[in-house]
Amino acid sequence: MKHTVSKRLVPVGGLCLWLLATVAHAALPPSAVATSAPDEGDPRVEASLLVDATQVKPGDTFRVGVRFRLDPGWHIYWKNPGDSGLETEIDWDTPGSTVGPLQWPFPSTFRTPDGFIVTHGYEGEVLLFANATASAQAQGSLQLSAAVNALVCEVHCIPADMMLTRTIPVGPQTLPDAEAMPTFDAARARVPRPMADSGYDVKVELATKPLTAGQPFTGTLTLTSTKGAPLPPLEKDFFVPARIPGVDVVHLKETAPGRFALEGKAEPDVPQAEPRLEGVLRLGTAATGYHALEVDAPLAPVVAAAAVPGAAPAAVAKPPSIKDSLAAVKPAAVVPAAAPAESSLGLGMALVFAFLGGALLNLMPCVFPVLALKAYGFTRMVRQEQGRVGAHAAAYAGGIVGSMLLLAGAVLAVRAGGAGVGWGFQFQEPLFVAAVSAVLVAFALNLFGVFNVGLDGTSLAGKVDQSHGLMHSAGEGVLAVVLATPCSAPLLGTAVGFAFAAGPITVLAVFTALGLGLALPFCVLVLVPGLAKRLPKPGAWMERFKQVLGFALLGTTVWLVWVMGGLAGVDGMARLLAFLVAVGLGTWVYGQSQTQEGGRRWASLGVAVVVLVGAGVATLRFDDAAAATPRATSSTVAQAQPWSDEAVSAALAAGQPVFVDFTADWCLTCKFNERTVLSREEVRAAFTEHQVAFFVADWTRRDARITARLAEHGRAGVPMYLVLDPAAPDAPEVLPELLTVDSVVDAVKRASACSPSNRADGSKVLCAARLPKP
Amino acid sequence: MKQVFTAVALGSLFAGAPAFADAEVGKPAPAFTLKDEAGKEHSLSQYKGKVVVLEWTNPECPFVKRHYEADTMANTLKGFDAKKVVWLAVDSTAHNTPEKSAAWKKDEGFTYPVLQDASGATGKAYGAKTTPHMYVIDEQGVVRYAGAIDDDPRGKNEKKVNHVKTTVDALLGGKPVPASTTTPYGCSVKYKSAS
Repeated sequence: MKHTVSKRLVPVGGLCLWLLATVAHAALPPSAVATSAPDEGDPRVEASLLVDATQVKPGDTFRVGVRFRLDPGWHIYWKNPGDSGLETEIDWDTPGSTVGPLQWPFPSTFRTPDGFIVTHGYEGEVLLFANATASAQAQGSLQLSAAVNALVCEVHCIPADMMLTRTIPVGPQTLPDAEAMPTFDAARARVPRPMADSGYDVKVELATKPLTAGQPFTGTLTLTSTKGAPLPPLEKDFFVPARIPGVDVVHLKETAPGRFALEGKAEPDVPQAEPRLEGVLRLGTAATGYHALEVDAPLAPVVAAAAVPGAAPAAVAKPPSIKDSLAAVKPAAVVPAAAPAESSLGLGMALVFAFLGGALLNLMPCVFPVLALKAYGFTRMVRQEQGRVGAHAAAYAGGIVGSMLLLAGAVLAVRAGGAGVGWGFQFQEPLFVAAVSAVLVAFALNLFGVFNVGLDGTSLAGKVDQSHGLMHSAGEGVLAVVLATPCSAPLLGTAVGFAFAAGPITVLAVFTALGLGLALPFCVLVLVPGLAKRLPKPGAWMERFKQVLGFALLGTTVWLVWVMGGLAGVDGMARLLAFLVAVGLGTWVYGQSQTQEGGRRWASLGVAVVVLVGAGVATLRFDDAAAATPRATSSTVAQAQPWSDEAVSAALAAGQPVFVDFTADWCLTCKFNERTVLSREEVRAAFTEHQVAFFVADWTRRDARITARLAEHGRAGVPMYLVLDPAAPDAPEVLPELLTVDSVVDAVKRASACSPSNRADGSKVLCAARLPKP
Repeated sequence: MKQVFTAVALGSLFAGAPAFADAEVGKPAPAFTLKDEAGKEHSLSQYKGKVVVLEWTNPECPFVKRHYEADTMANTLKGFDAKKVVWLAVDSTAHNTPEKSAAWKKDEGFTYPVLQDASGATGKAYGAKTTPHMYVIDEQGVVRYAGAIDDDPRGKNEKKVNHVKTTVDALLGGKPVPASTTTPYGCSVKYKSAS
């Protein structure tokens, strides 16, 4: 039997063309060809039952398949259809022969323009086939029937049910069908091969092990050639995951030849058995030719997430495959609760970030005065106490690390108490702000020479109590830490966010790294002898410099007073200022006492203490309620609204892009960004142009909702900037912690590219291509 | 210095955290306020204290048509205590209009509202991918089921498990939900940018 295989696609359009296409198959029995998916009278799919032999010998194997031809733009689905659609199904009824599993050529990936819905399947023409074996007792002819159920989609979908039948004579020889054979061979070449006989090997290493139910995971997939051959280049959509029970869509992104970043998510009811990464990988390009492989590698064992009250782990509705059943027999590895799985950042990376972040803190406006002070003291020391420089450096570093560890301890204690804390949390406490202000004022007055604490080299030179000097260095280290916390430097947010979500040991390690980073510049001065010699010679300028530094400290105090205004209102500010005046008076009296003798000296000292304590008790009563009115104008952008999830959803629902500024008054980086970027005319114009809804989430005082939202993005502190696209509200863009006008304007532009206002004027903006974030 | 900051800031961006998730089983359901085909507003919050069933729908989709011919949704709802369960259909089809929904509701003769989400914001907040795509939200506003209406994508099984029914019955009966996520099937939701 001979038949003509049309090489043309079924043309679009009318009945005549369709008839023509059918005539092309005149040699196929009419029962073996069917059309379906009628769309306004025009069938969108044609299916033919093909066999690669014209006669089959009993006991021989042959191939049967269904060839689909689709109108341009229409597609059917792969065995994992993806986000929507339906697996193409072929039910064989073949008395006298047995048909094996369906072979699926490597599928295409289809995306909606916004990338929200991703599906896998075939367009144009595809042959889905299977190997069949004729029974040894077969006689006469073999009856072959295929019941095809496919969902045929363009934008809308049409279900197609087709019944295809034909008979193949049984004879003394198996005679290949020269017409059909190439079609089968071409399809065979596109079917992914098992990894074992492909000449390649795949390894999967998850960064987040074990898998936690309901949590995302990341990892690395490494592809190597067992023959050491170079890896071929790849084309877009080179990986298509199979449907993995309990695991949400898995993405692979090539980071280097043969290395892929893996990203996925365990469903809340992921089965306890170790899930496997299953899918197909296609090497090569259209130009070089393709080479498709099956991927099947274990991911990691699963642990249950912290129990959701009442939500018992449930069976995945999909019937388990044989592989699942086998895997289920193995005892699932039991691993103790794995907190680090919450963050995708490894401990090593977090330590590096913490160290770098700590070093950067030295440049922040809140720490710089202290560093300058230290450098000033150091200049003096280098000349006078050559031998003790190392000890001072160690004391300074020790002071920093020690207080960092204290802070870490406080974090752990507060967290154990169940309260949500974040970086800089202590600045949410008015008394703490008052205490730091007092220390700063006292320090400044000391620099002005109002009193001496052995700091002043000129008056105390020669009788410096060495241990006292070391204590002083350590004290400066402590002060540096205290002042550093609100200046959440870039990187620090991530590292500290990691620490806050992690176990006690990790918290301590990260804070130690942070401290060492902060101490670094000073220690470098000490450890590199040449550097120290470059410092200017001491002289009268030092006295003036010291006094200038005093003003810098007073400047920092102004900021703290303003922070207090945010915490406790105008009254709170006034109380703090009154207290600071008392501090000034107290230190002045103390300074007077230093020149006095005996009883008078002690009396003066007493007066100083009484002034301080009395003023403290009288003034330091801060009322949270005084500042209860939310200050939406905390940002200089006039249209700012106070943040709430509901308000954001409402704005997004209205099609507006959303910018959320997570800020706090005590966060200098935030204020810097607001002053230098967010209040700029360009930014304001961009916001107006794109109708951006601007929200301010003010974390000056504790707010559990904001803490939770920060934690969702792996942050423990502010600033954080989110830009939400109404077309993809579930994929907000997190801006860098240091903003620039360009970065904000560009982000807002991207987020509004698909907004109604832009679409209305028909502009062809790229709304699609929102690739998953690395 | 500026370059250093930029580089460092970019680094921190890369290390940034995962994006917002869809409506997740075990987590609070995304809030919404949508008008129905008659212009009446419905907020998720106003139904606190009741079990809420959300049905993503599109009358043009063959899967939805099949279920409405079989009265799957109406029969499922009929089996629940009307005082404890609210059924809301949501249409995120870009070209849908309240008038079309009203005509469809009249033709099919069902009683629940059809929420108008032509912007697709609510659909995307939930991660609704198909029609039908079902969500069950408990009395506290926590998502307890996300997935298909039943285990019969092709409409050919004689016996089928209606996942929404088993979920709601389990919730009202104080029992664990037997299957809290299933793979939804059907047409893709025809979101705005797809037009």
